[in-house]
Amino acid sequence: MSVLQKPAGPPAATGPVPFLSRMHEWVTTVDHKKLGTMYVTCGIVYLIIAGLEATMMRWQLAWPGQEVLSPEEFNRLFTMHGTTMVFFVGMPILLGAANVLIPLMIGARDLAFPRLNAFGFWLFFFGSLLLYFSYFGGQGLYGMGSAPDVGWFAYAPLTERTFSRGHSTDYWILGIFVAGIGSTATGINFIATILGMRCKGMTLMKMPLLAWIMLIDSVLIVVALPPLAAGQIMLLFDRLLGAHFFDAQAGGSALLWQNIFWFFGHPEVYILILPGFAFVTEIIPVFSRKVIFGYPLMVAATVAIGFISVGVWAHHMFAVGLSPMLNAIFMGSTMLVGVPTGIKMFNWVATMIGGKIRFETPMLYSTGFLCQFLLGGLTGIFLATVPFDWQVSDSYFVVGHFHYVLFGGLVFAIFAAVYYWFPKVTGRLLNERLGKWQFWLLLIGFNLTFGPMHVSGMLGMPRRIYTYHLDRGWEFWNLLSSIGVIIQLVGFSLFAWNVLHSLFKGRIAGDDPWDAWTLEWSTTSPPPAHNFDEDPVVHSRRPLWDLKHPDDPDWKYE
Amino acid sequence: MSTQPHDEHGIELPQPTSAPMFTAFGFTLMAAGLVTNWVVAAVGFITMMCGIVIWFRNSNPDSREMPAPATDRHPTPVVPKEGGVDHLLSDAGHRARIPMEIHPYSAGIIGGILGGAVMSGFAVVWGLISHGSLWYTVNLLAGAMLSGYADMTTEALCAFRTEGLIVGILIQVVMSIGVGLLYGVTLPLIPRMRLFFSAILVPLMWSGLTWASISIVNPALGDHIEWIWFIASQVVYGVVTGWWIIRSEKIGTMQNWHYLERIGVETPGAREMGADE
Repeated sequence: MSVLQKPAGPPAATGPVPFLSRMHEWVTTVDHKKLGTMYVTCGIVYLIIAGLEATMMRWQLAWPGQEVLSPEEFNRLFTMHGTTMVFFVGMPILLGAANVLIPLMIGARDLAFPRLNAFGFWLFFFGSLLLYFSYFGGQGLYGMGSAPDVGWFAYAPLTERTFSRGHSTDYWILGIFVAGIGSTATGINFIATILGMRCKGMTLMKMPLLAWIMLIDSVLIVVALPPLAAGQIMLLFDRLLGAHFFDAQAGGSALLWQNIFWFFGHPEVYILILPGFAFVTEIIPVFSRKVIFGYPLMVAATVAIGFISVGVWAHHMFAVGLSPMLNAIFMGSTMLVGVPTGIKMFNWVATMIGGKIRFETPMLYSTGFLCQFLLGGLTGIFLATVPFDWQVSDSYFVVGHFHYVLFGGLVFAIFAAVYYWFPKVTGRLLNERLGKWQFWLLLIGFNLTFGPMHVSGMLGMPRRIYTYHLDRGWEFWNLLSSIGVIIQLVGFSLFAWNVLHSLFKGRIAGDDPWDAWTLEWSTTSPPPAHNFDEDPVVHSRRPLWDLKHPDDPDWKYE
Repeated sequence: MSTQPHDEHGIELPQPTSAPMFTAFGFTLMAAGLVTNWVVAAVGFITMMCGIVIWFRNSNPDSREMPAPATDRHPTPVVPKEGGVDHLLSDAGHRARIPMEIHPYSAGIIGGILGGAVMSGFAVVWGLISHGSLWYTVNLLAGAMLSGYADMTTEALCAFRTEGLIVGILIQVVMSIGVGLLYGVTLPLIPRMRLFFSAILVPLMWSGLTWASISIVNPALGDHIEWIWFIASQVVYGVVTGWWIIRSEKIGTMQNWHYLERIGVETPGAREMGADE
C-alpha cells in the first residue's frame, strides 16, 4: 500500500506532554481507538475486582463450616461478582474490542457517531461506579452502606421493598440501567457504522467475519437491552412508588420479572459469546495459514444464532412450573441453537485441518476456547433437557456449565484477542513465553475450579449457599475448586506483569507481526488518529493476502 | 486491495469534546439522586443540560471537525511474495478442502448394521455362557430405556420379555447405524492407522465414557456388566464396521463441482454431471 498523500493537519506535539494534558486528551476524546482502549482497561480492572470477589467466595467454600464470610457478605459477593462479570467485564471488553477493530477492519476513519460513542462509554463508566458506590451508600447515605444481595438476576419478590430494605437493590437497578443505555447507544452506533461506512469494494459478503458477527451482536443488544430497562423501571416503580408489578401478594406477578429478565438474559449470553466467536474466527485462519472454512455458512450460522437466541429464554424457567407444551417448545428451541453453533465449531476445526498451524499464544487460547466451549455447550444440551434440568436446577452443575461457556469460552477468547491485537493497539508484542505459561496455568486452574463443580452439583450441592456440613460428600470437590482458583491467580498475575512490562519494554511489533490478512494490519501499529493515510479499496475478504500474493489472489475465486 | 486518495478537503476528524462525559455524568447523578437526595438529582440535571448544550453547539449547524494531526509514521509497504503459496493438495486446485474424497454414507450405514449384528451375536454368546440365557443381554440393554429393569433380579433378566426385545433391538439398531455413520464421516479424516482408530481407540474411549456414566444412564447394566466382555464387544463392532467402511470405494466431494451440478440442474453447456474441475 503506497502513500500518495499525507495528512495536512497540525504537527503532532513533540516532547513530554504534561500529565493533566494527557488526562484531558483521554477524557475529551471521541477517537474510537482510545475509547476502545478505555473500555477494555475498565473491563480488565473490573475483572480483577470480580476475580477477587470470586476468590473470597472460594476461600469460604474451600472447607465445610468455614466462617471467613458471613451469609450476608457471601450474598453480596455472589451478586456483585455475577453482575460485574456480565455487565462490567464482558460487555465493556467486547464493546471496547469492537470499538477498536470495526472501523479498522472495514476501512473507516471512526464509528458513525463518535460523540455518541464517547457518551456510551461514559454512561457505562459512571453506571459501574454507581453500582459500586452502593458499598458506601446502599442505605441511602444515612447509615451503613451495603452492596446488592439479590443475585445477578435479582429475582422477584426478593427485590421488593419488604424483603430488600435500604437502597442496595436500587443501586443495582440504576447502575445497570445507566450502563445499559450506554450499551444500547453503542450497539446502534455499530450497526450504522457496519452498514454505512465500509470502504469501497467491501460488499457485505466481502466483510471480515468479525464485522458480520458484531453486526448481529449489535442487533441483539438493541433488541435485548431495552426490555431489561423497561423491567428495571417497573421494579423501581414497585420499590419507590408503591406499584405492584412483581408483588404477587398484591396482584402482581413474580414470574413476570423472570420472563422480562430472561428475555434479556439469554440473548445476553449470546451478546457476550458472539464476539468471542468473532475473535477466534479471525485468529484461527491466520495461525492455520488457511482461509476460513465455509464463510457463507459462518455468516448464516451467526444470523441463525441471533434469531434463535431470542426464542429460548424460558429454558431458565423450567423449574417454575411451566406447562408441558411450553417446556417442550423451549426445550426444542434450545436444542435448535446447538445446530448453528455446531456448524461454527465444525468450521473452525475444518479450518485447522490440513493447515500449517502455529501454536503461538493467540492460537493456544483459541484452541483452549474450542475445547472448553464445546464442553460448556454439551452440558448446555443436558440442561436443555427438561427432566435433567429439574434434577440439577440451581445446583453447582449449572454454575460449572455457565462458567465453561463464559470463562472457558469467552474469557479464553478474550485472552486470544488481547494477545493477537495488543501489538496493533500499543505497537509492542506481549511476551510469548509468559503468555504460554499463563495459558497453561489458566487452563489447569480453570478446569480444576469448574470441572469438579459438575460433580458437586450432581451430588446435590445447591448454588449460592455460603457453607455446608461435612457429611454431604462435597468437601473434596470444593477443595479442588478452591485450589484451582489459586492456580488461576498465579496465571492472572503473570498476565498483569506481562501487560505492564510489555507496554514499556515489549518487542516492537511492526505493522503486521502475524502475517495477517485483514485491513487493520495494513496501517501502522498503533494506528494514527485517522486510521489510514488513504482510503482502502478491497477486492476480496482478505485484502492483504491479495497484496502479498498477487500470483494467487482471493478475489479471483470469491 | 488498492487505495484511493481522500477528497480535496484532506482528512478531517471530529474535535475532542467534553460534552458526552458531562451529559453522561449528569444523567448518572440524576439517577443517583433517586436514592440519595434531590439536590444530587438537581445538580445532575444542570450538568446534563450543560453537556447537551455543548454537544448541540459542537454539532450544529455543521459538525465541528479538525484536520487530522500530521504524523511521521506511515505504514510499511506490503512486499508481494511471489510463488510463496503452498496449496493443500498439489493437484486439487485453489483452496481445496480435505478430505477430497469420502466414503459413501451407505458404507457407514451398512457397516454399522453389520458391526451391530456381529456385536449382538457376540453379546448373546456371552449371555449364554455366563447365565445360560439368550435374553439376558437383550434385557440389560433395554434397561437403558425401561426404568423398571434396574430393580430386576438376575433370574427375571434371563427371562424372555417382549418389550425388552423390542426396545433392545431398537437401541442396538439406532446406535449401530448412528455410530456407523459417524465412522463413515470420520475415517476419511484420519490420516493413517484407520482400523486401529475404529477397532481399538474409539471402543476404548467409548468404554471409558460408559464406565463413567453407566450408573446414571443404565443402572441395570451397571450392576451386571463384565467389563472385559463389554470392551471385547465394542472392539468386535469397531473391527467389522471399520473394515467394511475402509474397504468401500471412495467418492469425490462436490467441492469443485459447478453450482448447477451441485443443485442437480442439467443445463445445456454445463459440464457433465459429477465431473471435477
